[in-house]
Amino acid sequence: MPLATRHSLLAYKNKKGEDMSILTTRRAALIGAGGLALSTGLRIPARAQEGPLRLGVLTPLTGAGGFDGPRMLKAMQAVADEVNAAGGVLGRKIELVVEDDETNPEAAVRAAHKLIDVDKVPVIMGTWASAVTTAVAPVCWESKTFLTTVSGADSITLLPHQGYLIRTQPNTQLQATKHAEFIAGLGMKQVYLMSIQAPFSLPMQKRMDEVLAKNGSKLAGSLIYEKDKTTYRSEIDQALRANPDLIYINGYAPDVTIMLRDLYRAGFTGPRFAQSYAVTQKVLDSLPPEVTEGTYTVQPSSDVDSPAFALAEKRLGIKDPDAYVTQATDWISLVVLTIAKAKEATGTALRDNVRKISQGPGTKVYSAIEGLKLLAEGKEINYEGASGPCDFNEIGDVTDCKFRYQLVGGGKFKLVKIS
Amino acid sequence: MPVSLPQLAQLIINGVMTGTILAVPAIGLTAIYAVLRFPNFALASHATIGAFAGYLGNVVLGLPLLPCLGIAFLVAGAVGVLSDEAVLKPLRAAGFITTAIGSIALTIMLESAVRFIFGNELRGYDLPIMRDWRFWGIRIGPQQLENLAVAVLVMTALFLFLTFTRVGKAMRAVADNPTLADIKGINAATVARLVNFVGMGLAGLGGMLIGLDTTIDPLIGFRTILSIFAAAVVGGLGSIPGAVIGALTIGIGEELALVVLSPNYRSAVGFLAILLVLTLRPRGILGQRAY
Repeated sequence: MPLATRHSLLAYKNKKGEDMSILTTRRAALIGAGGLALSTGLRIPARAQEGPLRLGVLTPLTGAGGFDGPRMLKAMQAVADEVNAAGGVLGRKIELVVEDDETNPEAAVRAAHKLIDVDKVPVIMGTWASAVTTAVAPVCWESKTFLTTVSGADSITLLPHQGYLIRTQPNTQLQATKHAEFIAGLGMKQVYLMSIQAPFSLPMQKRMDEVLAKNGSKLAGSLIYEKDKTTYRSEIDQALRANPDLIYINGYAPDVTIMLRDLYRAGFTGPRFAQSYAVTQKVLDSLPPEVTEGTYTVQPSSDVDSPAFALAEKRLGIKDPDAYVTQATDWISLVVLTIAKAKEATGTALRDNVRKISQGPGTKVYSAIEGLKLLAEGKEINYEGASGPCDFNEIGDVTDCKFRYQLVGGGKFKLVKIS
Repeated sequence: MPVSLPQLAQLIINGVMTGTILAVPAIGLTAIYAVLRFPNFALASHATIGAFAGYLGNVVLGLPLLPCLGIAFLVAGAVGVLSDEAVLKPLRAAGFITTAIGSIALTIMLESAVRFIFGNELRGYDLPIMRDWRFWGIRIGPQQLENLAVAVLVMTALFLFLTFTRVGKAMRAVADNPTLADIKGINAATVARLVNFVGMGLAGLGGMLIGLDTTIDPLIGFRTILSIFAAAVVGGLGSIPGAVIGALTIGIGEELALVVLSPNYRSAVGFLAILLVLTLRPRGILGQRAY
């Protein structure tokens, strides 16, 4: 039964018209009706074992992440419906308890406390902004609650989280490795890296240097530049003095645009390489085509060739779900399978068992229901997700994922490859 | 890092180019300060408005560069007069700090209005981008020279206006000694409107000149206001030749700093310059004489 809700958009019914009970309780409702929260809190222990299995969702439904949060929630709900239709897990139906983190660490921490203390969820899925995840993670590990996230900052998995955290988004190390391998694969011998001043700049430089050297290429030089400058002519001169075959501009749209112009003016004709969020179609539209010609872009990609990706497309009824949607699909699938494997729905059981179903020699499975069937038969499984293989290292980072490479020609993107 | 002669010359040329363009809005800021005695931070949004007005002229109406620069000047100037009448003028009685803070609020408001109409994405003028000319190991962009010429022309015109026209002299008189100007029968309110028009017009023009070299978005003015402010302060807030010298100092200083510093410390040079100048010459390089 839903409590007082603020987000009526979450009022949800499945295909048969049954109320799926997404509890969208807000702290406003809790503060306004303290007794309501109390009664919920009292009710849970009594029916904890025989009632539905409650899983926490904490995504940004509003704020900067307001575009991705609701789509991630939908992806998780779709998997939950599918599992419920197949009989649930450990004989119990899944019920998602949804909170809005407002893309705001302070609101997120309060919501996390509510999910953990009132709803007693074993897992919180969905934090998006790195600042939010950094704030919520200690609340989770202190209360032995498992956390799955999409936040990219390297520092997150370096927190003392005792294993209560996994992330499906590639970190800077993995990104730098993949980018460097791609660039070396293009036959570029001398690479120059220009990075905006940001936390990722130095780790990126270091890793690129190592991986390029290993692949028969070389980081001929690098510099870190300041944002918000009206021109980067002198920086470009500095880069060109190193005679690079390719220049990697690791910045954001306003500065990368200026760099591309200045590189063209300086007569640089070699390929340039940038992140997809810095060179968007809008950026291409704002520049003459000859300026952007031959620019490569890269972004983390869903694993488009995976059967799990096809299943996600079918389940959600959308074409080409992006990396956020597929990562959300994988979180809930991993959580459900781990609970089935551990035969126990606690944060610690999730921590101790998630790698037993996400990697290793077991039979590859591409969806939660497929995995549940094999687990019920007593078989070992290895979940391969829609976002990637979902193999985690000891600190909770994915060890591999696909990237999408594009090349600009005539002011338009052309897909080079996804690998 | 050892530096060759052409390299050094290149850095100085780059600095002169950046400095000259910065000088245009810096003159606007300093002129408004000279007459109204407060730093008008709303200059940032007027630079943005000028850049977008020029964009409309260029991309929507298909006009060539020079008329668009005219549009940028006129529109930003007109908005400057209106916004001052509506928002800042009533605040002036409450003192300089209140007005300066009010101007920050005003700039956020106007910038949001631009964002509301045009959205957040980057836009570019419909002008070809040309390769640089190269000689003696130095490179210069034809468009940069064009921008340089525009900036120099505008500054010359302003100088002539202030020196030889009656209205220009009246503006200088109010800046020099408002009480005496009042006794002489110069209408301070008219001069205030005029200086707002010219000052914000220059901001708009400067915004478009910056946009020509980069791309435009609602934050274009905000991104450059610190450098503009630094230029005006280093030269002597209130002095128009001072703004030019200040802008060139900042422009060349930031570029030459690259010889010894990593590029991510470029802005620090501007503020180091402010610190040095204010310590050694608290009224700026040229003091506060208004012209």
